[in-house]
Amino acid sequence: MTAVASDALATVRQPLGRTQAIGWFVVVVGLFTVFGMGVGTGSTPRSTLTFTPIDVSHGAPWHLGNLTLPTEWTLVLLGAVIVALGAEVLVRRRTKGAMVRVGLMAIVFLLAVLVWASRQPGPSQVPFINVTAILVGSAAITMILIYGSLSGVLCERAGVVNIAIEGQFLGGYLVGEMIDSATNNWLLATVGGVVIGALMGWLLAFLAIRYLSDQIIVGVVIVTMFTGLASYFNSWVLTPYPNLNNGNIASNLAIPGLMKIPIIGPTFFDETGYFYLMMVLVGLVSFALFKTRWGLRVRAVGEHPQAAASVGISVARTRYVNVILGGAVAGVGGVAFAAIQGQFTPSITSGFGYIALAAMIFGRWRPSGAVAACTLFGVSAYLAYNLQSYQVPISTEILLMFPYLITIAVSAGLVGRVRPPAADGIPYSRE
Amino acid sequence: MLRVRGLWDRYRSASPVTIALLALVLGLVVGAVIIIATTPAILNAWRGAFHSWGAPGHALKVTVDNVGAAYRSIVTGSIVDPPQFWHSVTTGRGWTASLTPLSETLTYAIPLVIASTAVGITFQTGLFNIGANGQAILGGVAGVAVATLVHLPTVVHLPLTLLAGIAGGVVGGAIPGLLKAYTGAHEVIVTLMFNYVASYFMLFCLLSTPLQLPNQTNAISRTMPGGTQLAPLFGTASGLRVNYGIVVALAVTVFALWLLDRSSIGFEFRVTGANPHAARASGINARRTLVTSFLISGGLAGLAGVTWVAGTTHYIDQNFLQGSAGIGFTAITVSLLGRNRPIGIVWGSLLFAALEVGGSNMQANTGIPYDLATVIQSAIVIFVATPVLVKEIFRLRALRAGSVKVATAGWGS
Repeated sequence: MTAVASDALATVRQPLGRTQAIGWFVVVVGLFTVFGMGVGTGSTPRSTLTFTPIDVSHGAPWHLGNLTLPTEWTLVLLGAVIVALGAEVLVRRRTKGAMVRVGLMAIVFLLAVLVWASRQPGPSQVPFINVTAILVGSAAITMILIYGSLSGVLCERAGVVNIAIEGQFLGGYLVGEMIDSATNNWLLATVGGVVIGALMGWLLAFLAIRYLSDQIIVGVVIVTMFTGLASYFNSWVLTPYPNLNNGNIASNLAIPGLMKIPIIGPTFFDETGYFYLMMVLVGLVSFALFKTRWGLRVRAVGEHPQAAASVGISVARTRYVNVILGGAVAGVGGVAFAAIQGQFTPSITSGFGYIALAAMIFGRWRPSGAVAACTLFGVSAYLAYNLQSYQVPISTEILLMFPYLITIAVSAGLVGRVRPPAADGIPYSRE
Repeated sequence: MLRVRGLWDRYRSASPVTIALLALVLGLVVGAVIIIATTPAILNAWRGAFHSWGAPGHALKVTVDNVGAAYRSIVTGSIVDPPQFWHSVTTGRGWTASLTPLSETLTYAIPLVIASTAVGITFQTGLFNIGANGQAILGGVAGVAVATLVHLPTVVHLPLTLLAGIAGGVVGGAIPGLLKAYTGAHEVIVTLMFNYVASYFMLFCLLSTPLQLPNQTNAISRTMPGGTQLAPLFGTASGLRVNYGIVVALAVTVFALWLLDRSSIGFEFRVTGANPHAARASGINARRTLVTSFLISGGLAGLAGVTWVAGTTHYIDQNFLQGSAGIGFTAITVSLLGRNRPIGIVWGSLLFAALEVGGSNMQANTGIPYDLATVIQSAIVIFVATPVLVKEIFRLRALRAGSVKVATAGWGS
């Protein structure tokens, strides 16, 4: 009953010319890179890339020398690559894959901005780009987002919109931080995150499945409720007992041989346990959803619950299980957040749960797609937070808008192109 | 006897009002459980409860005392404090103190009525505007900018300030509206993200030259000149903050009643919200309806922001509508509580404003953080949104209420 509204509103769209618009947009960004940033800088400035990570407590990877590039020509080259991407979209005239090009464009463009910002002689106080440090920082944000996206995939493949990921992050963060502070044991903290996340997932499932409530509204209200509860808890319990909110940051578990590989080693093989767990979960969810009988049933429930029910699958039970699992995964994401960020403050998750949700849509409800989308969001968020140190002539507040603006832009360029599970967000009742 | 029987029957047949009142009761129960589970004094009393005879009684007394004190503070802080009131009646003095709770509740309810009406109008069209808070922020920023940077006589300046607030909100509402109409971007994601963008935009403005208070490094704006402020209803000397914003709020309610029930565009909104297929079949321009709904909603949200600034603080700083003060988020819950109807929204706003104001008083008296009010509000709305649950808990008979119908499910592709 409720989903028809969105359907009918969706049909007003006329996707004609959208691909062209995207193509031209990419071309314009490319031309801006060439002429706006590249040609103007002159032939003297040089940009330097370095590769030694900042944290070498577990041993540095094999040494790579600095790479010094002529700024002007590098920017012209990167701009040309972007123009080529746009031209390819225009020539190919196929909507499929257009947004992937936009994603590639975004990353190349950010790289160009970095090259431009770090040029010497130039206004920057940081005379080099530390590629490895950027990747390590981005990997941390990406990891959080991937936990959220996986949670979204699990829920929405079964037909329940989990907009409460933000709240589950917050719950996992709070509980994880408290347990770690009390016991100094991240394993227990993770268990706590699983429990609180699963409980919140159950609450959403209970209201959405048993009482057929509007899932988006109930989800938003659950987030409001837990934001209030977290604030309450912060001032009523954590302030008088500061010992419950001063846990350590989780230490990295370096994988001996692999972490020696330059760039890749510090990014992928010198991480906290949560990073490896995330990688395992991505594979596991992917495999379970698309290669097992369980996954087939889940997807059937998400696409056509009536058909699923007619062959004896319990729609309600499948949805309960998935929403609770999804909540647990997001809860672990919250603990992982605490493990890399430390002390809890009430608004610490700052919309990451919602960005994760958007990334999952961008990734077309697939774990692999979600990973790609989260990487894009993670890298751009990290760069937005850190471009300030390069004295970019844009104020901090504007830079901090970027992750959110990118999310808006992506959902505007994209939603018509993707197809959610057919029964996503629609309450199912037997009669 | 018959009369009592009639009342009982009315209670048993769950009308929307009954459901709302029972949801309030359940919300307060949830709040009490949270207080009990997190207050050291109560927990300590129960820890020793089984050591001696009489200890359970003592623990129970501690529990009732603590929870009672908290809820008593909410009532005395938001409606009336009987001893203080009696003191005023008998001596004729201290009326300011006696009337402050009511005045504060009304002051807080003013922007809430406006913002909730904004959210309610989109709900009636089958859209979900979670961005009312961002739109209110833009409205506040635009209003303060016009008030502080333009010099005009009051007669023109105050209306212009309010109009600037509306314009700021319209810009905020146009973005999700147009994006949804022309690209299909889902309004839930766009408005959610836009809240953060609006917050950073406000911070940017507060730290930039024209708007920032001169000789300041903090994020704080100039103060609105007297002529652009909404004056206190009973004069500055009264010490009561309730202001002429109440007129704006009433005007908005009347406007919403007219818009939804009397105007053709409101009819199109409601038809689209109730059955988009029928709307399209009867020749309603879906895209125009969608955009108009978002423009009106954004404009009202912006008006809520500027009304709040012009009526109370007269300047904005980095905490403006942030965190628990985000009226745009409370507005979502109020709108659902009021079933998206203008009159229901007025009642809902008064209730939730009372909870917020009373919550602050509770924090002052008992130390229990006022964020509990947010939790109680959310709980109330969860119960209102699932009337079947309330019906089952209280074993009500037939359900006349029906659930709050909002057409937002799915991602609309």
